Amino acid sequence: MLDTVVQNMGLLCCRQKRGNQATTEENDKAAEIERRIEQETKAEKHIQKLLLLGAGESGKSTIFKQIKLLFQTGFDERELQSYTSVIHANVYQTIKILHDGAKELALSEAGSSKYELSVDNKEIGDKLSEIGGRLDYPRLTEELVQDILKLWRDPAIQETYARGNELQVPDCADYFMENLQRLSEENYIPTKEDVLHARVRTTGVVEIQFSPVGENKKSGEVYRLYDVGGQRNERRKWIHLFDGVTAVIFCAAISEYDQTLFEDENKNRIMETKELFEWVLKQKCFEKTSFMLFLNKFDIFEKKVAKVPLNVCEWFKDYQPVSTGKQEVEHAYEFVKKKFEELYYQNVTCDHQDRVFKIYRTTALDQKLVKKTFKLVDETLRRRNLFEAGLL
Amino acid sequence: MPMYTGGQVLDLETAVKDGILGGGGGGGVICDDVTTPNLGKLDLKKMIEQLDSIEVPSVFICPISLEPMQDPVTLCTGQTYERSNILKWLSLGHFTCPTTMQELWDDSLTPNSTLNHLIHTWFSQKYLAMKKRSQDVQGRSLELLEVLKTVKGQTRVNTLKELRKMVTTHESARKTVAENGGVSFVSSLLGPFTSHSVGSEAIAILVNLQLNSDSITNLLQPTKISLMVDVLNEGSLETKIDCVKLMGILFAASDIVPSLSLLVGVLRLVKDKRHPHGILAGLRLLKIISTQESLGNSIISIGGVPQLVEMLPHFNSESLELCLYVLKVLSSIPHGALALKNCSNLIPNLVKLLMKTSENCTKFALSILLEVCKLSPEESAATAVNAGLAAKLLLVIQSGCNPELKQLSSELLKLCSQNCRASIFISKCKLTRTLQ
Repeated sequence: MLDTVVQNMGLLCCRQKRGNQATTEENDKAAEIERRIEQETKAEKHIQKLLLLGAGESGKSTIFKQIKLLFQTGFDERELQSYTSVIHANVYQTIKILHDGAKELALSEAGSSKYELSVDNKEIGDKLSEIGGRLDYPRLTEELVQDILKLWRDPAIQETYARGNELQVPDCADYFMENLQRLSEENYIPTKEDVLHARVRTTGVVEIQFSPVGENKKSGEVYRLYDVGGQRNERRKWIHLFDGVTAVIFCAAISEYDQTLFEDENKNRIMETKELFEWVLKQKCFEKTSFMLFLNKFDIFEKKVAKVPLNVCEWFKDYQPVSTGKQEVEHAYEFVKKKFEELYYQNVTCDHQDRVFKIYRTTALDQKLVKKTFKLVDETLRRRNLFEAGLL
Repeated sequence: MPMYTGGQVLDLETAVKDGILGGGGGGGVICDDVTTPNLGKLDLKKMIEQLDSIEVPSVFICPISLEPMQDPVTLCTGQTYERSNILKWLSLGHFTCPTTMQELWDDSLTPNSTLNHLIHTWFSQKYLAMKKRSQDVQGRSLELLEVLKTVKGQTRVNTLKELRKMVTTHESARKTVAENGGVSFVSSLLGPFTSHSVGSEAIAILVNLQLNSDSITNLLQPTKISLMVDVLNEGSLETKIDCVKLMGILFAASDIVPSLSLLVGVLRLVKDKRHPHGILAGLRLLKIISTQESLGNSIISIGGVPQLVEMLPHFNSESLELCLYVLKVLSSIPHGALALKNCSNLIPNLVKLLMKTSENCTKFALSILLEVCKLSPEESAATAVNAGLAAKLLLVIQSGCNPELKQLSSELLKLCSQNCRASIFISKCKLTRTLQ
């Protein structure tokens, strides 16, 4: 009997030994994984997180595209081609909005015939409106282009366009209408310019990682840029991105002071931006985050200021013009900048005293300008890092 | 010709050439007065004047006046003095040698031509070297300015750095730069896309140059001022001080409204206890812009008032006076007085300062106290009296200071006595006899 016991014990021992071998392998694997995780976490620490925030249509995605063009390989032919359908969609959407808008205005101003389409264009108008309402858009043919142009040139449509701020006419309207012939060509491949103008409502989150190459060709800074949707229903997704952010690039389209929201036609866009900015400033997670405010769409602002006074926006109601022309544009811009500055400091407490806050004038469509602006942002962030490391 | 100087034999040329008389860098030029025509014409007096900061060898100094000798004469005792000085000594009736105290057996004054020649030579050498250095500086500054017009990037930054060093050390460089359109060129480098490195160097250069009204107007453009504010907020201490100084010059000449970011930046400088120079520079700027009407509200909106009040005990006397001036201006606007009143340590801090430093400080402190007490007489008066105000006020009234201060003190005293229970007041005064 002892024999059996000894034998069994032997077997038992053997089994245990095999068991130990197995756990050692597992341990090795686990250790490897641990090491990998540690390495990646370390690498992650060097990556600076940049967040593009702002209301809808403030220019975030355009900045995102610009960064892609400047610091990554840009758009390859396939990507460029993928924008064709978007651009065509923009064209249909625009003309539909204008046509329907003209009808609305004609009804509300029953007395005048300003918004009455000419007889020949009425049929075209209805046809295009119907196309624009579909889910799938047809290819832009020569015939359609002619129709669209006829409608675009109709005085009623032009009058409607002049009141575009009351409708949701996208900013790219002008650009695409002017280039319509080219857009409809057989072998049309969108240019960089076209892609930058293309309008798609971002939904969800998009990110790119890049390293800005300085003049010395050595940088070391790695940035990860996140782009988000700006409309109200998209904002609840923002909060997931708020941790460990190096800098928030807040885009505010200053040209929208006479426009209302896409998602709420009773809310002035600038007022929405104002409230959104305040909300973002108060977030606890941004206590140490640098804030770069991009006052965007300056090109449109420039032209608008001469025609539409700033005071139509409640926030700017105390604006007093002092001169005309270029000087007035500068004066108006400084006024808006000051308003945002005041807003920032109203929402700052002692904890935020050391936070970096800078305002930049931008036109997201201008690549040179965006490059120069980003160079400054990069310099500021690098200096900030040195300062925080105690080296400055 | 051999000469005895402290036991060493030397000849003229060696003495000057090898710099035995001190001063090192003679530039290797051996000046023979006769052959170098220009030097003969050089007025020794003028040279001495222009080289007044240089260390002159002791053997050239007259023992009476301790100035370099221009006409050295030797007495019979062998001691050498400046002619006019020894004559004056002798005319006062003394018949002794001032240094050896020996009685003079001979009243003759022998011109010491050797020493004269040496002095002339030495000064000429130094003078020429200085002139050459100055020309070098001027030439180099001009060169740098030209280079700046063509380069970019890191080269531009380095060139600016060098120019800045020249401009801060040499008057001649400053003149050269200013006379060759340097001001407008460097100003043109400041814009919305200027990097920090370029901006900080440019500002450091401009702050050393004379700015006429056109340059000032040019620099007051909003984009340039914005850049200066950014550089102020991100720069090192020296850069901050330069920015603040430059903006002081600019704002003094205009009524431009300072932005909130600027005020925040200046306040940050003023609160930095480690650097009193920064504090002083920041306060100087605050004083200059305190004449601005809207400044008061701006400072209050960024919470500047409590920060300034808190710093009061940490300031040196010059800074204190500036800060009190600014607070006084703030106290004269309603929001300002309110903001001041809300600072719990305002009254105790101010009371402590009365009669401590300068009259101006006391004057400003009294004005502030008056405004604050007027706002909420009972409450403030009580706090003030508790902090020992009454005794201080009596001190002011009894002292020999400006009647304006006495006026302020009596007003305050009246206010306090009206709002405090008599017994408490009297007990806090500790000078019952005077009151009665």
